[in-house]
Amino acid sequence: MNRNGCKLMRALKIYLALFAQMLKVRLSYRGDFIADLFATAFGGLASLFFVLLFFVPIGDLAGWKKDEILLIVGLSMMSYGLFATVSWNLFEFGDRYIIEGRFDRVLLRPISTWAQILCDQFRIPVLAETVIGVGVVAHSVTNLGLDWSALEWAFVALTVVCGALLYVFVFSILASASFHFEDRVGIAPPVFNVIPFGRWPQEIFPWPIQALLRWVIPFGFVAYYPGTALLGRTGLAGLAIAAPLVTLAFGLLAAFCWRLGVRKYESTGS
Amino acid sequence: MPAVVVTNLVKEFRRFKRREGLAGAFKDLFQRNYQALRAVDGVSFTIEAGERIGYIGPNGAGKSTTIKMLTGILTPTSGEIAALGLSPHRQRKEYVRRIGVVFGQRTQLWWDLAVIESLKLLLQIYEVPKAEGAARLAKLTELLALDEFLHTPVRKLSLGQRMRADLAASLLHGPEMLFLDEPTIGLDLVAKDAIRALLKRVNDELGTTILLTTHDLRDIEALAERVMVIDGGKIVYDGSLDKLRDEAGEEASAEIELLEPASLPELQRALPQVRFTQENPLHLRAVFSKRAIPAAELLSRLVGSLKVADIALPEPSIEEVIRRIYEKTGKSAMVAAKTAAGAAATSPAAGDAPRGRAR
Repeated sequence: MNRNGCKLMRALKIYLALFAQMLKVRLSYRGDFIADLFATAFGGLASLFFVLLFFVPIGDLAGWKKDEILLIVGLSMMSYGLFATVSWNLFEFGDRYIIEGRFDRVLLRPISTWAQILCDQFRIPVLAETVIGVGVVAHSVTNLGLDWSALEWAFVALTVVCGALLYVFVFSILASASFHFEDRVGIAPPVFNVIPFGRWPQEIFPWPIQALLRWVIPFGFVAYYPGTALLGRTGLAGLAIAAPLVTLAFGLLAAFCWRLGVRKYESTGS
Repeated sequence: MPAVVVTNLVKEFRRFKRREGLAGAFKDLFQRNYQALRAVDGVSFTIEAGERIGYIGPNGAGKSTTIKMLTGILTPTSGEIAALGLSPHRQRKEYVRRIGVVFGQRTQLWWDLAVIESLKLLLQIYEVPKAEGAARLAKLTELLALDEFLHTPVRKLSLGQRMRADLAASLLHGPEMLFLDEPTIGLDLVAKDAIRALLKRVNDELGTTILLTTHDLRDIEALAERVMVIDGGKIVYDGSLDKLRDEAGEEASAEIELLEPASLPELQRALPQVRFTQENPLHLRAVFSKRAIPAAELLSRLVGSLKVADIALPEPSIEEVIRRIYEKTGKSAMVAAKTAAGAAATSPAAGDAPRGRAR
């Protein structure tokens, strides 16, 4: 047990070193950094504005107050920002690593291939979305007059981390499909477009979409189900507690798919 | 105990055969034709610790595929590899810690990082103890003359510099075995020499086992004590370089440029052991057996009797060596006949055969 603990710490140290070096590289491309920062901030604010605009004419939505929905939106923005820092390589995985054969190099290093992919390229400016999310959650908690103890805040932190991991796992599973099918674009873009659906009260959707977001692409667990628990809405509390379990299950599934893919890897010609 | 034992190794790729045209592309969407391609077809060999082996064969013969299986990148379709007592793809992390790999075509370093930062990061990844890592880094910096570009990002290096940096990276963790896939491709003679010298030194001083593929027979001459030739996914020769030369290199040829036209029949009469052909009055081709007449003697006699502008002694290309091996072993009379016909049709000056020149 102790030995395993050491092993994990050693691995973390390596990934941190890798991360620090790549961060330096990203920062050295200053133009990119600033452009990305503005694009992310603008995108985040635009989606927020869209939600607010929606409420001007109708007031409540399926029994949800504006600030309640904003709470869910804020939670999901926090998770999304964390996920987006490492998502780049997951979206480009088939193209960059499989078709162009960069995966050879990854396999030659004595550390986890998956962790290398996540560490090898990332964006810091997208954390702007997380920062906006924090503001939105704080704002809605104040407006709703919620009196949260440390326990609730801890649950918020857990939710955000699990949500980010859930995004990572889902897109890792999709990326690992690139080992089997050599397609440049892959199947990630349509799934990516499903992300915003997880930000709304699920009741407003017809049942097939609700089922999809609960059982197939479980983005409902990122913010919506935990949000219902935080807001004290009954009925779905069980699902709220299930969020970390769903994340864990998808983590195991992602590890399995990744392993299967690596064995199938065919490299390039030369 | 041998360092590597390979038994009946097979790698099959499933290639999707595309149909032609737009209608074909539509059909491909629904029904795909696959074709099994055996890149490596039942290869077996043993490598002892400390050996230097040249692994050669024409393009598409299965060299890179073999190396990729030996380094754990590809999973074999069937067969067994036991390297350093491990299974490369099953015990990947443990195994790659103990080997070094260089691909001439592609860098193992981070494109955007300075060389020194790449190397230091690798020291961390391989968890080399601090003092040991610093000592090895200093030694490699000196041996490979990395000083001049240690702080340059990898993407800005010249090919020769990049290769030196890649070599340093592959040796940084003190590997027991070194695999090199065309380490001298595209380099100039000086850089090639530097790399050969380093590899030899690493092998002599540290006992590192070396397996390299190449298209340059001079790499093999400078480095390999043992040569394995692969063609069509099968090992067609495995033995010492000397024996390979005996088997394949007996027959040599010379290209002779003349200042004044010479009489072919007269020449033929003077040197009956040589077969002369004439492309034009000022260009002769001589094919001879080194056993019947040493090249030096032939040259001196030619220079003595003719007005010679230039003589070139093209080294046999790897393709030619393999053709001769086929002819010798009589493995497949048809293949030999076919490649012989192909070789005769190509112009002697063409091809990537390295040439030895004498003036």
